[in-house]
Amino acid sequence: MFKSYHKILLSTALVVAASTAAFAGSDASRTYPNGKKVIDGGVAYPVKNGKTSVYFVNTKAHKTSFKLGRKPLKCEEDAWDIDVMYDGTGLPEGHGTPEEGSEVYEAKCVACHFDFGSGGSGYPALAKGNAYELHKTLKNQRLHPDDEGPVRVFGTYWPVASTLWWYIKTGMPHPAPLSLSDDEVYALVAYIVQLNELKVDGEELDDDTELNRENFLKIDMPNKDGFEPKIRKGPDTVRAYFDNPKNFGGNKKRCMKNCFEGKPVLARINGKGISDYLPPISTKKDLPKKKEAAAGGEGKKLYEAKCAVCHGTDAMGAPMVGDKKAWAAVLKKGLDKVIHNAIHGINGMPPKGGTNLPDEKIKEIVEYMISASK
Amino acid sequence: MNKIMKTSKDVEAVSSEEIQSDRRDFFRKTATYSVSALAAASVIAPVAIDASEKKEKCEGGDPAIIEEKPWGTTFGYPVTHNLYGQPSPYEHNVTRRNTKLLSSGNWYASIAMCPIQDLNGIITPNGLFFNRCHGGTAEIDPNEHRLMIHGLVEKPLVLTMDELKKYPKVSRIHFIECPANGGPEWRGPQFPSLQFSKGMMSCAEWTGVYIKDILKDLGLKPNAKWMLAEGADNSHMGRTVPIDKVLDDAIIAYAQNGEALRPEQGYPIRLLVPGWEGNLHVKWLCRLEFSDKPYYAKEETAKYTVLKKTGKAIQHFYANEVNSVITSPCPEYPWTDLKKGDIVEIEGLAWSGMGTIEGVDISFDGGKNWVEASLKGLVLPKAWTRFSYIYKYEGKPLLLSSRARDDAGYVQPSVKQERDALGVECVYHRNGVHTWEITEKGEVNNVQVLS
Repeated sequence: MFKSYHKILLSTALVVAASTAAFAGSDASRTYPNGKKVIDGGVAYPVKNGKTSVYFVNTKAHKTSFKLGRKPLKCEEDAWDIDVMYDGTGLPEGHGTPEEGSEVYEAKCVACHFDFGSGGSGYPALAKGNAYELHKTLKNQRLHPDDEGPVRVFGTYWPVASTLWWYIKTGMPHPAPLSLSDDEVYALVAYIVQLNELKVDGEELDDDTELNRENFLKIDMPNKDGFEPKIRKGPDTVRAYFDNPKNFGGNKKRCMKNCFEGKPVLARINGKGISDYLPPISTKKDLPKKKEAAAGGEGKKLYEAKCAVCHGTDAMGAPMVGDKKAWAAVLKKGLDKVIHNAIHGINGMPPKGGTNLPDEKIKEIVEYMISASK
Repeated sequence: MNKIMKTSKDVEAVSSEEIQSDRRDFFRKTATYSVSALAAASVIAPVAIDASEKKEKCEGGDPAIIEEKPWGTTFGYPVTHNLYGQPSPYEHNVTRRNTKLLSSGNWYASIAMCPIQDLNGIITPNGLFFNRCHGGTAEIDPNEHRLMIHGLVEKPLVLTMDELKKYPKVSRIHFIECPANGGPEWRGPQFPSLQFSKGMMSCAEWTGVYIKDILKDLGLKPNAKWMLAEGADNSHMGRTVPIDKVLDDAIIAYAQNGEALRPEQGYPIRLLVPGWEGNLHVKWLCRLEFSDKPYYAKEETAKYTVLKKTGKAIQHFYANEVNSVITSPCPEYPWTDLKKGDIVEIEGLAWSGMGTIEGVDISFDGGKNWVEASLKGLVLPKAWTRFSYIYKYEGKPLLLSSRARDDAGYVQPSVKQERDALGVECVYHRNGVHTWEITEKGEVNNVQVLS
């Protein structure tokens, strides 16, 4: 009894509150210069004595207003303003039915997303069935091999439908974004809404029910309240959320001794794990495997290392590589004689050009020099 | 030394024309050559020296020392070669790597992992910086690229790339980390590799301009609370950034480690939101729009949201929390060559998107007991930080873990603490303590301690 009590006391004492150690010698601040807490739960480094943290700052540079660039034309802004917001801002006029959508889908989407948006081969599924039913799976945790995980598709997981319109218009089809008309996008969204069995204004979409700018905002997304913090309330709500470590699993305790009971329980990689890496892992310091002996290959390399000093110029009296006339004259003797001379020396050139390369290497070099002088 | 003396003697001999008789015959045959050309030829192409004498004198000597090497007996590359320098061909195995598991069906929406097992210090070379893209790497013509800033500003703006570079420059060293780094391992270890366990991150010195400096002349409206940042690439990816970050340290970056951004990093410009999710650092940046409402972009709804065991998901989870990993030893560089009693340095990387690393603890028993490691080198906000611990290897199995803490007061949680708080279906923002199992033979396995 005494022993276990003692242990509790000990471990409590050794849990050092890290917050007392923080800020030692640091210019970190929990707040921005406007007095508000740092939004991400971390710290900021306001400029103090001409420095932010360890970085020196030219404070005048950042107090000066620079007038550069120009005002965009209204039509330029419109051309680039391609986002679609949850309140319908940016959503153009247009319409499409699930039936029309399935035709576009068969033509442009099915190759990756498979029949009825079922996904596969690494491409995401667009629907898995009734979204309202499957929404309940979001609490699922795969703690054992046979456990069913949460279903995270458009209907079950996404908070708003505007994201889908925006995504399809500006990102799909993957090889050709911005190629679909607004009506085609409405039709595809209608088709995907139908696949997820989502209600629009209280009703599921029939094959010929039109989705348009008016009823788009009435798509009933089951997970619309499934996200935190409530970002629509503004950055201050986000700030308050990240000010509480419990919300996101933040830890502030630094245990040093006997941090858990007994021996450590281990989780290991299942079999070989995921190890199909491209390229395979290697820590060798070697030369890359030759792909194809490039033109010249070894002969060229050796030429550059051993022979180019004399043969790379016409100043040395030696036939210059690339000089067609000079090499045509040399070759009148015949290739065998040229190689023989290279091995045994000729005129000012010592045998093998002064190298101790084997005869066959000299031959390779000569062949390269000839081929480079045709 | 021998070789050099012989060569310089040759020069002397030629220049003073004290030439041996057998060499005279040789010279007579070369009437077409000038004396100076010959002198040069004999210096440049001296008859190779036989190293066998040296070998005899040094039996058992290391051939790396005893034998003459081609790089010591010939020219290297002239300075005209490789006008943009390349790594040694012997380093060809130090590359980014891919795996099909982390591709969305093709290599255009995928990730290339940084070989952090091969990196030194805190700066990642530009060619090795991890690369995540959603529609391939765009190759943008900077002359045909613009940055538009509009929405809730009094004066909307269009800038050319040259104009952008006229604002005061800011250079900062920051890591960028995909919040899915380590994410495939929420339900248990998967990768027998450091590169794949933790390689969705890199660290560089970035140069660009503060967005707040540009905004001085534009007149941000009081109801501007959010900023959409959008790319010009295939994916046209957008993300919402709160105004607080824009007015704190957000940068439009055009340079990385002193040179222009690489195409893989968003050339000609990208957003830099120090410490925050890599996905928020929008590449190929073309548009900033200020709004009173958040945007619900695809990468802050469908993806990059953290599904907790409550069934609720965290949206707008900005900062990558405090984290660390031991980089030496690791599965790629194990301790299989160590002998009992050897002294070895344990080294690793620590980082926090919430602030600056304050310290790192090391455990040899899987996190039951901890000792403090040393920090090394530069310790900067929202940057990689090196830590080190000198250890006497005993040849016994170990569970080697590291645990970092930052100046915002956060300490890395254990795997158990993190799972207890959030579950195992989060995909993103995993920062639980990473553990290597060192076997008796010194092999290194990726494990998780669930205690």
